[in-house]
Amino acid sequence: MANDVVTVNNLVKTYGKTNEKQYTALKDVSFAVENGEFVGIMGASGSGKTTLLNILSTLDKPTSGEVRINNRDVTKLKGNQMADFRSKQVGFIFQDFNLLENLTAYENIALPLSLQNIAPRKIKPLVNQIAQRLSIESVLDHYPTELSGGQKQRVAAARALVHQPAILFGDEPTGALDSNSARELLETMDSLNHEDQVSILLVTHDPFSASYCQRILFIKDGKIGQELKRNGRPRAEFYQEILNSLGTFVD
Amino acid sequence: MLTKLALTGIKSRLKDYIVLFSGLIVSAATFYMFMTLATNKNFLGNNSMLSANNTMFIFGFGAVLLGIITLVYLIYANSFLMNMRQRDYGMFMMLGAKSRKIAQLIFVETFSIGMIATLVGSAIGVGLSQVVAKLLVRQLGLTLHNFNAFHLPAMLITLIFFGVLFVLSAFWNSAKLVKTPVMKLLHQASQPSRMQVKPVVLILQALLGLALLAVGYWSMASIKLLNLIAIPLALVTIVLGSYFTFNATFIWLISLLKRNSKFALKGLRNFTLSQLNFRIHDYTRMLAMISILFALALGAITVGLGFQNEISDLAAATAPYDLIVYHQDQQVKTAVAQLDLKSKAVYHYKVVDGATYYSVTELQQQPLYYVDYGKSTGAEMVMPTIKRYAAQDYLKQGSAARYDAARWLATKSEQSTEINVKFVSAAKFAALTAPTQHLQLIRVHDFLKDSKKIGQIESAQAKAAPQFKSVLANSKYVGYGVYKSLFSGMTFMGFFLGISFLAMLASCLMFKILSGAYSDVRRYEMLNKMGTRRGTLKHSVAIEIGVLYALPGVLGVCHVLFGLQLFKMLMINPYQGIWLPFAIFICLYIVYYLLTTWLYRGIVIPATEIEK
Repeated sequence: MANDVVTVNNLVKTYGKTNEKQYTALKDVSFAVENGEFVGIMGASGSGKTTLLNILSTLDKPTSGEVRINNRDVTKLKGNQMADFRSKQVGFIFQDFNLLENLTAYENIALPLSLQNIAPRKIKPLVNQIAQRLSIESVLDHYPTELSGGQKQRVAAARALVHQPAILFGDEPTGALDSNSARELLETMDSLNHEDQVSILLVTHDPFSASYCQRILFIKDGKIGQELKRNGRPRAEFYQEILNSLGTFVD
Repeated sequence: MLTKLALTGIKSRLKDYIVLFSGLIVSAATFYMFMTLATNKNFLGNNSMLSANNTMFIFGFGAVLLGIITLVYLIYANSFLMNMRQRDYGMFMMLGAKSRKIAQLIFVETFSIGMIATLVGSAIGVGLSQVVAKLLVRQLGLTLHNFNAFHLPAMLITLIFFGVLFVLSAFWNSAKLVKTPVMKLLHQASQPSRMQVKPVVLILQALLGLALLAVGYWSMASIKLLNLIAIPLALVTIVLGSYFTFNATFIWLISLLKRNSKFALKGLRNFTLSQLNFRIHDYTRMLAMISILFALALGAITVGLGFQNEISDLAAATAPYDLIVYHQDQQVKTAVAQLDLKSKAVYHYKVVDGATYYSVTELQQQPLYYVDYGKSTGAEMVMPTIKRYAAQDYLKQGSAARYDAARWLATKSEQSTEINVKFVSAAKFAALTAPTQHLQLIRVHDFLKDSKKIGQIESAQAKAAPQFKSVLANSKYVGYGVYKSLFSGMTFMGFFLGISFLAMLASCLMFKILSGAYSDVRRYEMLNKMGTRRGTLKHSVAIEIGVLYALPGVLGVCHVLFGLQLFKMLMINPYQGIWLPFAIFICLYIVYYLLTTWLYRGIVIPATEIEK
């Protein structure tokens, strides 16, 4: 347990006020992500994936239950604490990149560091280092509109990782990419996970993306159902298993 | 069905509609208020030092300017409306609504919003004119003639002007929306253009801008030399100069700050700078226009209040003595004792055969004060000073000193220029067989403060001793009353013009900024997700909008400080008491700034917690 970066216990999220029609998006969800693990959460639209991710990243509050990230109960955070928590502990990659298009790639990547009031002279080496790691040194001076989808997503990844968060959340990061860029990004994430021990929680409905994970949790109607483990098998084999289990899971 | 949908659309964005609506109402009210003055020939004729036709011309010019500003303002308000609505309409079209039907809907929406706002605005305008007029009359002690809050021609002009503009914008909106592809309506994210900063071009522009401004300022200061050419010359050069200065200096400054990583890489600074940078192309023209309007509005208020100051200066210059007491009874004595006296001199006289006799010795013992006009020329007014004659000035027959003494010491006002006052030696004076009477020449420390009491003393005298009525009619107090009613009208017009211009220009700026807010929503959402504190986001918004407000303000203040040179022809010291109009104006401007910031934050800053 001490080695878990994310622990979720009995998480419930109900929308709608008590006197109105209620809808429960998450029903008693519990799971954990170990430090350095690459975990995928799969489910169809409306299964509660996004709600879960929003709660994990303090953008939303659960109705009941506990979420611990880096041994801290994030559901108890208030106001600025939530913002500070997001800026320090969490890195985000979104489907639609969410880069600030009025800042250059470099400025986008530097932003999380400036937000933490890191001394400007320390920022440059950190940005360059992560840019090199993600092979985007050559595009640092460009604005997002001048970049390809794959480049944009790598810039987004650099921005998500530059402040060395406890965990990287990916919300369908390959959703807007062509297959080559998607493969490249996933391989990058895989290598970040292996070589730099970055913990990753990937939310997706795409089996191909999911096949890069070490473990996959299937979520359906607000509940975690099946769990698949890769156990060091080749990715192609794991991919096949995911496809098979998806077939059974849907039923 | 679609009408119902459109109405629900309005309901869901009630706050934005309230902003739009109140903005339109303010503009209609301002326009109406201005028109009540501009179209009221009787009022203008009675309240201006210039002739009614000249004032009409000035106000006609003001009306055209205000019309142009209103037009620009409506364009911005309209784009605000469109930004707000296009997604909804895009969705209706995607759902299969016929474009003709949509066009109809937009037309009805734009036009009805506009016309309702105009009607409400005109009604408020009537009330406001009344309130403003009353307030000004009470606060500044103004007297106005022929001012009516409700003026039919003004109402008609307002309705027709706004009606035409709204029909045009309704056509424009429906045509635009029908022509734009649906997908673009749904996802219109404005793309920032990459800033191409060529230093040489920037430097040239900055220099050109400064040079143009210098020419403009110089021409205003040298109106004596250039005559009437000065005004159009200044107008053209200052408008162009403001534009170039903004364009160049601003971009240069931002890129300089961005390049300084020590400054830029702290908190959200880089983001704020980029926001400004991203907007600046859009804004330079607007900011240049605002700075000019700012100057015009502030100038109008300053000059208006300047005239108010002038009243006391001119009253001071009319006479060295604030009160002459011809008749003393107990009532007058007690009233005089209550004045804040600076000096009091008693002169004895005897009346023989219709002529008033004074002893020269007495004059020499206490010479009179007089107003020295110095070297005032036609082109520049110099403040006159109060001086005192010397004893030997009274020795010569027909001297200026004796002439002045005759004027102030006369006990009767004559039709002829020859006043029947004679000065004789002390011995001769003693030999005259008539009762000795005396009068008092009084100076107070602050004429304005005591003017009410002085007026009462004068009317008490006139009542008790009617034979002095004619000399009392020439008193300083009476002169003061004349100046006051003359300048009141000018002050009122200055204030009115200034406030209406300010209301319009600040609303323009507000809508320009707010209409850009929708494209910013996503950016602030991203920052929130990245973990930016709410306070930091708010701060960034405050700075961004603060800069957009401050820049034209600062340049506008410069314009006014130089522009007041023009008024040296009309006023003794146009710079006197300048802090008051500036303070009033800047306070109002800050109110607009705070309002804009508040509204902008309401649009862009996401709630920290999603509602459960």
